[in-house]
This record gives sequence, C-alpha cells and structure tokens, in this order.
Amino acid sequence: MKKTARIGLLFYLLLTANLGKAQSDFPSIKLKSVSGKLIDFADLAASSKDTMVVLSFWATWCIPCVTELETINDVLEEKQAIRPFKFIGVSIDDSRTSQRVKPFIKGKGWKFDVLMDINSDLKRELNITDVPHVLILKDNKIVYRHTGYIAGEEDNLFEIIKTLN
Amino acid sequence: MFTSSFKKTITLFIVIICFHNNLSAQNINQYIKGHFNGSIENYSQYYMRDEEIGAYIPPDRYGSNTFLKLDYNYGKFSTGIQLESYMPPILGYFPVPVSNQNKIVNKYFKYTEDKFSVQIGDFYEQFGSGLIFRAYENRQIGINNAMEGINVHVDPTSFLKMKIVYGRTRKIMDYANSVSRGMDAEIDVNNLLGIKEKDKTTHVTLGGSYMSRYEEYTGPIVDFPASVAAVAARLDISSNNFTLSSEYAEKGKDPNLLNNQSFDKGKALQVNTSYTKNNFGATATFRTLTNMNYAAERETEFTSISPLNFLPALTKQHDYLTSNIYVYATQVKGEAGFQADVYYNIKSGTKLGGKYGTKIAANFSYYNGLDDSTDIFSISDKKYYRDANIEIKKKWNKKLETTFAYQHIFYNASVIQAVSEGEVNADMIAAGFLYKFAAKKSVRVKLENLTTKDDKGSWASALTEFSFSSPYAFFVSDLYNYGSTKIHYYNLGASVTKKSTRFSLGFGKQRAGLFCVGGVCRFVPASYGFTASLTTSFAN
Repeated sequence: MKKTARIGLLFYLLLTANLGKAQSDFPSIKLKSVSGKLIDFADLAASSKDTMVVLSFWATWCIPCVTELETINDVLEEKQAIRPFKFIGVSIDDSRTSQRVKPFIKGKGWKFDVLMDINSDLKRELNITDVPHVLILKDNKIVYRHTGYIAGEEDNLFEIIKTLN
Repeated sequence: MFTSSFKKTITLFIVIICFHNNLSAQNINQYIKGHFNGSIENYSQYYMRDEEIGAYIPPDRYGSNTFLKLDYNYGKFSTGIQLESYMPPILGYFPVPVSNQNKIVNKYFKYTEDKFSVQIGDFYEQFGSGLIFRAYENRQIGINNAMEGINVHVDPTSFLKMKIVYGRTRKIMDYANSVSRGMDAEIDVNNLLGIKEKDKTTHVTLGGSYMSRYEEYTGPIVDFPASVAAVAARLDISSNNFTLSSEYAEKGKDPNLLNNQSFDKGKALQVNTSYTKNNFGATATFRTLTNMNYAAERETEFTSISPLNFLPALTKQHDYLTSNIYVYATQVKGEAGFQADVYYNIKSGTKLGGKYGTKIAANFSYYNGLDDSTDIFSISDKKYYRDANIEIKKKWNKKLETTFAYQHIFYNASVIQAVSEGEVNADMIAAGFLYKFAAKKSVRVKLENLTTKDDKGSWASALTEFSFSSPYAFFVSDLYNYGSTKIHYYNLGASVTKKSTRFSLGFGKQRAGLFCVGGVCRFVPASYGFTASLTTSFAN
C-alpha cells in the first residue's frame, strides 16, 4: 500500500515540479519509413512549426483503417493544394504482418510515406489504444486527434485542417 | 471490493487529472513544461445464459477490464505508469482463472540521449523479428509480457546499434519466477563501409542477438538446464524496390511442459522477400521451426502466458465473420510453410480501372508438419493449413464502393485445436457495399457464405452498418450456421465517437474470433449478453 502511494506521489511531484514556462517537446522515437529513412518523431513534430503534420495510425489487417487511407489518398493532392500539410501513415503492423506493408502500399498506389512502428513504441508513447487513429501536429503540439473511422470522417478531418489557426 | 492502496492510487490520479484539467482551462501550456499524456480504456460485459451456443453465466455476471496509462516527458526524461483493473476479468481474457485484481502493473523512468538511452522499470522490447525475444502488449487478446528491469540502447558508432535487457517477465498480474537477460547488436554495413546514401542505394544490415533465462531447478535430474540460452542471426538487404530479410535462431535444451520435457534443441529459420513497383507489390515469407516455445517459466501451460519470444501465425488476418471460424495458430512443436501476397492496382483512367482504379489483393498460405522434430527441413506430407484468397475492391464513384472476395480454406482441426473433429475443407464468398448517400451519412452492407461439408457444416452472415450523422454509428449483424446447428449469432449495437473518445454499446451472441465493427477490431470469447466499451486519449 505504502509503495503504491509512494509511486503515485513521485509521479505527482515530477509533474508539479516542472511548472514553468511553455514548452511541449516530444520524446525521441526513431522509426524507419518504408522508403528506408530513419525518422525521429521529435524532429517530425518540431517540423510542424512550418507545415502541419497529419499522422494516421493504421495496420494492413485493419479494414476501416485501409478504407480511410484509400479515401484520403484519392483526394490528398487536391486537399494539400487548398492548405499545405504533410500526411504520413504510421503502420503498427508487428513482425506478423510488417513484411506486407511496403508491397501493400505500393500495390494500392498510395502516394504518402509510411513509418513502421513494429513494436508499437510510438503508438504507446502517444497513448493510442485502437487504430485507426489520426493526429494533427501543429507548432510542435497535438492539436487534434480522432479514433475510429466511419465513412465521411475524412471530410471532418479536411475541414479541421482547413480551419485550424 | 477496492483495496485501500488502489483507492489511494485512484485518488492521486483523480487529483492529478483534475489539477491538470483545471490548468488546461487557463491554457495549460503556459505553465507546464514537457509533454503529459494518457489514456483510459474500459471494456465491460454482462453475461446471460444461452445453452444453445454454450454461453454460461460465470459466478459473477459482470466482467470489466480497465486500463489507465499516464506518461510524462520532459526533454530527455520520461516517466509513466500503467494501472490495470479486472473486476473480474472479462470471460476468456486470461487463459487461467484470475480473481478480482487492481494493480499498477507498469512503472518506468527513462533517460534518452542522442545515442544512448536507459530505461528502468517495466519496458517493451524486441530483437530482430522476435524469434528469441519480444516483450509487447496486445490488450485485445490479453497479452502483456513486459519485462521489469533495465533496458539500455547504445549506438557507439554510426554503424553499430546495441540493446541490452535484464529483468523478469510479467506473468498475468505478477512476475515469472525467473530472470532473463539478453543483448542485440545491429551493424549497418553501408555506414561501416562509408557508402553514401542515395535513393537507389542497396542497404545491408547484419544483426545478432542472445537471450538467456535462468529458472531455479530443484528436481532430481542431474545436468538439468536451469539456464536456457537462445541465439539468433539475421541479414537484411533492401533496395528501392526489392527486399530480402532472413533470420535463423537456435534455442538450447529446454525441457518444459509444452514440449513434453524434451531435451531437443529448438530451431527456426525465417526468410522473407518482397518486390514492388508502381501499383504492384508482392511478398513471400518462408518459415520453419521446431521446439521453439520459449517461455519465462518451464511449467507454463499456455503459450500466451509469459512468453519470451514471438511466433505469430504467418497467415492473412481476415476480417470476415465466416473466415474467422477457421484461423490458423502456430504449431510451436514443429511446422514448416510459407505465405505469399500479391497486391495490384489497375490504374485509374483505364477500362478496368475506371475513375478511381481497381484494387486486387491475393494471398496464399501453406503449412505442414515436420517428419523429424530435430530437422527443420524434414517437411512432412501432413497438411496443417491452407488458405487461398482473393479480394477485389472497386470504387465506382464518390458514393459507391464494392468489394468481392473468395477464399478456400483447409484446416486441420485435430492438429490446430487438438480435437478429434479432423479436417475441414471450406469455400467462402463475400460481397460488400459501401454507399455514401449524403455528406457524413453512409450505409455499409457485407454478405458472406462459407460452404463446407465438414465440422458443423455451412455458415452465412450479413452485416449492416449505418452512419446517419457523424459521430453516431449503428450496426446489426447475424452469423448463421445453416449446416448442422442452425444457430443464429446475432448482434446489434451503437457507438459514438468524439475526437479521441469512443463509447460503444452492444447486445448479442458472440463466438470466439476477431470482430470488426465501427472502425475497431477486437478478439472476443464466446458469450451472450451486453457489452460496453469506452476509450479515450488525452494530452496537454
């Protein structure tokens, strides 16, 4: 009992001890993209100061995720022309299905890059419980997140991208 | 019902959350350094009796799993906890009976430099493809084999990455009675040779890993291996449109309950290759293994309790209600086989492609037994599993999308389920329609038919999902066995999603399998009654 309370207290102190001026930096988590580049999530989030970054967490076995990404891919260039944003998929396929990811996206003709989160390190860090899950990063902060997909959800997402300050 | 330590912990979290919610009203980011985020997930069931489907009422009619995860990161420091509550666990969540439990299962502190990180506490990690070590969490299927101890990552040079783990593995709500340690090293051959990176450069990496588990042995056998070591070596080659990855692993003598106390070594070989070009992708994986069950405790009865390694079934994971009646599971005692996938997009603007293209996916998997349990190349004639399937998806216009699928399955029930029902040959056809009749309003229909003369005979299913106005969705489905049992497994439910919060409510009969509706997939045990789930993620 004492131990549990002590851990809780430590956590609480860590949080409150850091009250101060604004900063929202993300942890460094390095993921490989299907194109072979090593990308650090902290750098990616920092780059959202110039152009907002939209991350879509998905998996090859998740049908709603694939439906959402196919729909987004069909209109991606058109929407990016309205307001520029970077769109990146984050595959949470583990070693059961990760070897499928590259052939899968090439075979679908998807135009965006995909990061491989093979042991769910980034998914866990960002507290994502289920896929699909979409995040918008702007000014190094998560300004919007949405879980699940229902047909038409992409319209909401594009509307938010268009109107975000 | 709640223990006092649990109450205290909960109070603390409520204080923390309230405190930060209060701050958020005043723009939290003005006051707080660093990044704070968390998630809450609850899945509850109310059980009713249904003798027809074999659903029984457990001593407690309710089951409820709750997860709370909180993480805080500031610059190079991260810390966090995970609290789990099972009051009691939902039916079938753990393979063994577990009483009411509330516990902080994970707590960690991590320090990260550019080329160095150290984590103390509970951590997740993976070496190579996981043949000898993977610590991970999969809440849907109830696996969490996080290791408690120390995890170090070091990149001493531009071409070398090393990982070290030392600790004990989680076993349900406690820890396994053993200590494991291991190391993984990966060499980037291109960096070693100073080859400059261009888009079309072929990239080569080499890797090696070692793992050792010590569990005290007090029995009578002289020279009994209390320590069991495993080693693995891997090679990955990738270029712009071609990849080849292979890994070979060996495990020392590991007499345990699941291998009938065999002193044979464990062996595994996995080779994967893929080729891609515009609108086309193909991949094939070959894997053979024998005696590769590697658990944190020798006397573990189920592979899902405290595993050290990860040996997933290398087959396609379908989301059809009828296909999921016959799902393959890796035979850790010995199996050999392969699977291959082909993906092709018939370009838009062509006759077959139409305005949006036509997407084709085909998959084939083939698994047999081994003749000699010490030889991974002694592939026998004994068929374990076959799956040949094709799916064609076409978007006709902005409103209508259709899917057609065909699948042939061979399933050796006597091997996979260890029952006497024998072999199953089945054919499945499915058709799906998605129609968006107005902005944010859609209807989805999926019809399936699985024909077989074996086991319980043929099945049919229908699923309809309506979304009248986001964020609400409703569904009705029925899976019907028209072969021998004539049982209907009907379900209906609704969900509401607002940003990263989702609540759903359902009622019906469920058989074990992967169930995907309303945008989320979950493994469910056989049951009859009500279900409710709530998930939310939050951050500053």
